Amino acid sequence: MENINEALAEDRSQYLTIALTKGRLADQTMELLEKAGFFCEELKNKKSRKLIFTNEEQKLRFFLSKGPDVPTYVEYGAADIGVTGSDIIMEENRRVYEVLDLEFGKCTMCVAGPESARDLLQHHERIRVASKYPGIARDYFYNRKHQTVDIIKLNGSVELGPIVELADVIVDIVETGSTLRANHLKVLEEVCPISARMIVNQVSMTMKAQRIREVISLVRDVVNAEKKETAGPSALS
Amino acid sequence: MSIHTPDSYHELLHTPDGVRDIYGSENARKQLVQSRILDAMHLYGYEDLQTPTFEYFDVFSREIGTTPSRDLYKFFDTDGNTLTLRPDFTPPVARCVAKYFMEEKDPLRFCYQGSAFVNTSSLQGKLNESTQTGVELINDASVYADAEMIALLIECLRKAGLSEFQISVGNVEYFKGVCQAAGLDEETEGALRDYISGKNYFAAEALLKSRGMKAAQRDEFLRITDFMDDREALKRVREATGNDRSRKAIDRLIDLYSAMESYGYGRYISFDLTLLSKYHYYTGVIFKGYTYGTGEAIATGGRYDGLLSYFGKDAPSIGFMIQIDSVLEALQRQKICINTDIRIEKISYRPETYQTCLQQAMELRRQGIRTILVPEKK
Repeated sequence: MENINEALAEDRSQYLTIALTKGRLADQTMELLEKAGFFCEELKNKKSRKLIFTNEEQKLRFFLSKGPDVPTYVEYGAADIGVTGSDIIMEENRRVYEVLDLEFGKCTMCVAGPESARDLLQHHERIRVASKYPGIARDYFYNRKHQTVDIIKLNGSVELGPIVELADVIVDIVETGSTLRANHLKVLEEVCPISARMIVNQVSMTMKAQRIREVISLVRDVVNAEKKETAGPSALS
Repeated sequence: MSIHTPDSYHELLHTPDGVRDIYGSENARKQLVQSRILDAMHLYGYEDLQTPTFEYFDVFSREIGTTPSRDLYKFFDTDGNTLTLRPDFTPPVARCVAKYFMEEKDPLRFCYQGSAFVNTSSLQGKLNESTQTGVELINDASVYADAEMIALLIECLRKAGLSEFQISVGNVEYFKGVCQAAGLDEETEGALRDYISGKNYFAAEALLKSRGMKAAQRDEFLRITDFMDDREALKRVREATGNDRSRKAIDRLIDLYSAMESYGYGRYISFDLTLLSKYHYYTGVIFKGYTYGTGEAIATGGRYDGLLSYFGKDAPSIGFMIQIDSVLEALQRQKICINTDIRIEKISYRPETYQTCLQQAMELRRQGIRTILVPEKK
């Protein structure tokens, strides 16, 4: 992070730097940005080994990073703007401005487990919870359910937890539920809806107010227009 | 995890997370920046004030509205009282002033510098002990006091070597006025405060919607998010504001802007009505200083007209604090050099020349030249 920061330091004031989340979210973000009038041709070359992609004309810079790192880059000002899932933003709990709900990458943060575990959630008894999101899991059980839990941090294939009896339930994002079904697990409770968010660095919001506000308002117009389209005219009132 | 070494003393060399040693040229830069900032404060007639590093816990309690209790370093004295390392200077200064200047009605000006301590484990690269330099202006409710504060902050930052920075100014009263007019309960207002200060307007809108607020009223509420960089923009917001309390808040900012122009510092100012603070003791004008190279504000301040009354003195006050560590980081990232070249004269001696070398060294020191005596290498 330090190096990128150094490299960007010189013309930090001229460029807007945008951190994207590697993978499908990055493609969806670029699609949205293009509709709003912001482009980056370099980014489309999938074979490129570059780490930073520039649009000299619009003075934009993009880089790809792992989701959980996006709020970090933005908090420290290494990127002015970032786009990542609200699950990650909640978990990382960084000091950034969360300015837009981009309305894609939608899924739900859930408590899941075997049907037999449903009863364990009805009482305040101590249970074991496996999750990639220990922060969100703790907040949900402590502050909303007032239930004492042991939280076990896992780094992937969280569904394995209840199967091998490492944990009673898991807290994870559920998109279609097919992984859960294949492993005979069920959504037991919904924690909160998740979608992609645009976040902004606190300093950039003031120092580059005009440019950032322009990006926000153009992107917001596209998001709102699409929302109207999918919702249909009847849902507008 | 650190690499294991058989030398057990290696573990003794590390400082705990969030605190660190500062030495050499970095320390020289820090001292210089601090003294330049204090010089600027002294020029405005602010007097140095020292308060203890730790105080009774009650000075930072929830009612006073400072750092949350779990983020404080707490320990006990022999009588079982809870003591707290200061997380910021304003409540201790308020306590001190209430104690020693209880009857004083004229404006009082104090400046301070020192360490503040915040006990958060997940800061990841943030300091738990930070150096703060700040001022408090007590017994002055006027807009000229607000202007003096912001002008002084601008001069401090310029003296420190920064040229590109912005002071974002808001007024907590505007937000409170709108909440009051909308009849929001305390819980909703609290949640809203978090959303608005996080610029999370869609969440704020959803919250207001769920509380049954009508669309037109919601729109008026969310006008708070408009960005204002000049007087005209402020006037437009004033026109559209429906309640007295918020209108008065905007009037104050318009007056403040005029006063800032008298200082010739209008260009450093922009207005942001969503500026709220995690410190609940702020009551009116509030401001933050931003520059490139740091992820967050380098200076924060505001009016706290109610704080001293917790200590039994009714005194409108305003102050600000500069995060020295962040200023240094910004200077370094912006590649702004601070000339700290300090020459140290070396005189080498042998036992037989010690007498004359010492005389030489003493003479140089008398002239103000830093001098050290070193044994001559064989």
